[in-house]
Amino acid sequence: MSSIPELDIHPHHIIQKKKDKEAKFNLVKAIFLDIFFVFYAIIVLQRAIYYKFILQLRELPFSWNEILLIFILSIIIGTLWAVSRTSISAKLFGIAKDTKVTKWTVEIFGWTLFNLTFIAGWVVTQISIVDIFSSEGIEGANRIFGAMFRPEMGIFDDALFAIIETIYIALVATLISIPPTLLLSFLSARNLMKDSKLSFSVYYVIRVITNFVRSIEPLIWAIIFSVWVGIGPYAGMIALLVHTIASNAKLYSEAIESIEEGPLEAISATGANKIQVVWYAVVPQIILPFLAFTIYRWDINVRMATIIGLVGGGGIGTMLMQYQGIAKWHEVGLIVIMIAVVVWIMDYISAKIREAIY
Amino acid sequence: MLLEVKNLHKIYKNGTHALKGVSFKVKEGEFLVIIGLSGSGKSTLLRCINRLIEPTTGKIIFNGKDVTHVRGEELRDLKRQIGMVFQQFNLIKRRSVLTNVITGKLGSLGTFESIFEKFSDDVYEKAHSCLETVGISEKAKMRADSLSGGQQQRVAIARSLMQNPKLLLADEPVASLDPATSNSVMQYFEKINKEFGTTVVCNLHFLSLVRKYASRVIALKAGEIIYEGSPHEISEEWFRTIYGEEAEEVEIR
Repeated sequence: MSSIPELDIHPHHIIQKKKDKEAKFNLVKAIFLDIFFVFYAIIVLQRAIYYKFILQLRELPFSWNEILLIFILSIIIGTLWAVSRTSISAKLFGIAKDTKVTKWTVEIFGWTLFNLTFIAGWVVTQISIVDIFSSEGIEGANRIFGAMFRPEMGIFDDALFAIIETIYIALVATLISIPPTLLLSFLSARNLMKDSKLSFSVYYVIRVITNFVRSIEPLIWAIIFSVWVGIGPYAGMIALLVHTIASNAKLYSEAIESIEEGPLEAISATGANKIQVVWYAVVPQIILPFLAFTIYRWDINVRMATIIGLVGGGGIGTMLMQYQGIAKWHEVGLIVIMIAVVVWIMDYISAKIREAIY
Repeated sequence: MLLEVKNLHKIYKNGTHALKGVSFKVKEGEFLVIIGLSGSGKSTLLRCINRLIEPTTGKIIFNGKDVTHVRGEELRDLKRQIGMVFQQFNLIKRRSVLTNVITGKLGSLGTFESIFEKFSDDVYEKAHSCLETVGISEKAKMRADSLSGGQQQRVAIARSLMQNPKLLLADEPVASLDPATSNSVMQYFEKINKEFGTTVVCNLHFLSLVRKYASRVIALKAGEIIYEGSPHEISEEWFRTIYGEEAEEVEIR
């Protein structure tokens, strides 16, 4: 798929063409962003400020027609604003006119957006000073804390076995994740894959998939796999494995992207092929960061494995869930203390190993 | 004619017009030095020749063959014939000097044998003789990053010699070295040029080095050739044109 070199075109035309294209593209981007800003501002203004503060409604009314109306309105305002080149997005993409109007819109509208967002956040999180100081609430919290500070030592043996199970779940997930992560990380490193259209599309597809998998929390994966393979440590391990592969593939590939380009250039200048370049110029530079990431991930996985247990992923988390369910707070106290101790030890060990590596 | 560059333009993605119609010829056995300020397009020019950078328009003819837009196996073949030495040496820091030298040969080795590092005796012999040429064969077993700057650059020269290059490109090879080391490194380029007859194209900063080693000089300014000729004809006036009115010549011995 080689394109014919543009030998006859004068280089200045190429430069001019690139600039024109970029300016046009920036205007389109500015229009879309402005439409979004205006839409967002009106929606928040109407729902959080008008309905909640001024009308003091408990249930917010909702209708698609209303939303559609606001959307059309913001398309008109946003487009006009961006095309007039005085909007906040025009400023962001560097195509704004340098006038007083631009300065004013950027400052005033920017502040308005920021304040609206804060107010909307206040409403959405249902912040309430009353609830946190109610005597009933404080009494309940007192009861649980009191029990937890007098842990029940009778279940120590069971808890010890459960926490060992948790550590092993994390360890196995981390170990099995290494080979697939390695493969994926090379395929999703931009600097290695950008050369041809085919390799770049492979890069893109893998990026999209790993981003998607990573955006689903291990907790959700554990729910899925506890249905798939049955409740227990196996489900928890696969859940962690899936998430570890997706997140470490990103970390690894970023390590590959941040290597020194010099040796890469030097080796490819000798006429070496792609695999040889990776083996000689990339691999020696990334072995240590890879090792450090993997050890750190084991540490993270131990913490996650305790949480995953809550939804049936086995280990100490499952045990915690059982005692919490029947409100045995002395037992819960012991389990929480053991988790804290193990997490602290893991944290310390992994930090020490990583220090030694670098 | 070993190398012929015709009306070469390079425009980077960000719009920088680095080379504006550069044309020159290089005869076999020459020691051509390219001078010019930082940003004048020297490095871009060298990298276009061995196609580490894709030229935008123009022609590059190497050894009688148009190589401006060759791809795949043909491109690798071009790279095999051209050695390159960099300002920052670009060695693999964590590997031994010997392994670094052998990487120069990768273009003609199979993928399998290079990954398992099962090289034939010929390769090892060649690597040792290249190290002898630059006078550091006793450092073969040491880690590359434990060497001094000058020694690292000599390893990089040995690496390029592994290719038996027809043309040796050097991108400011002494710019990160001290004056004394600079001279000794330049002497190795001279040795390779004289003894093996390898054509050298080299970017340099110091005029005293240029006068000492170059057989011909090209001066670049803002992507255009503004001077071409013998190194001894560069007068004070030319010097100011190339490096700007404020410039003053610094001696390096």
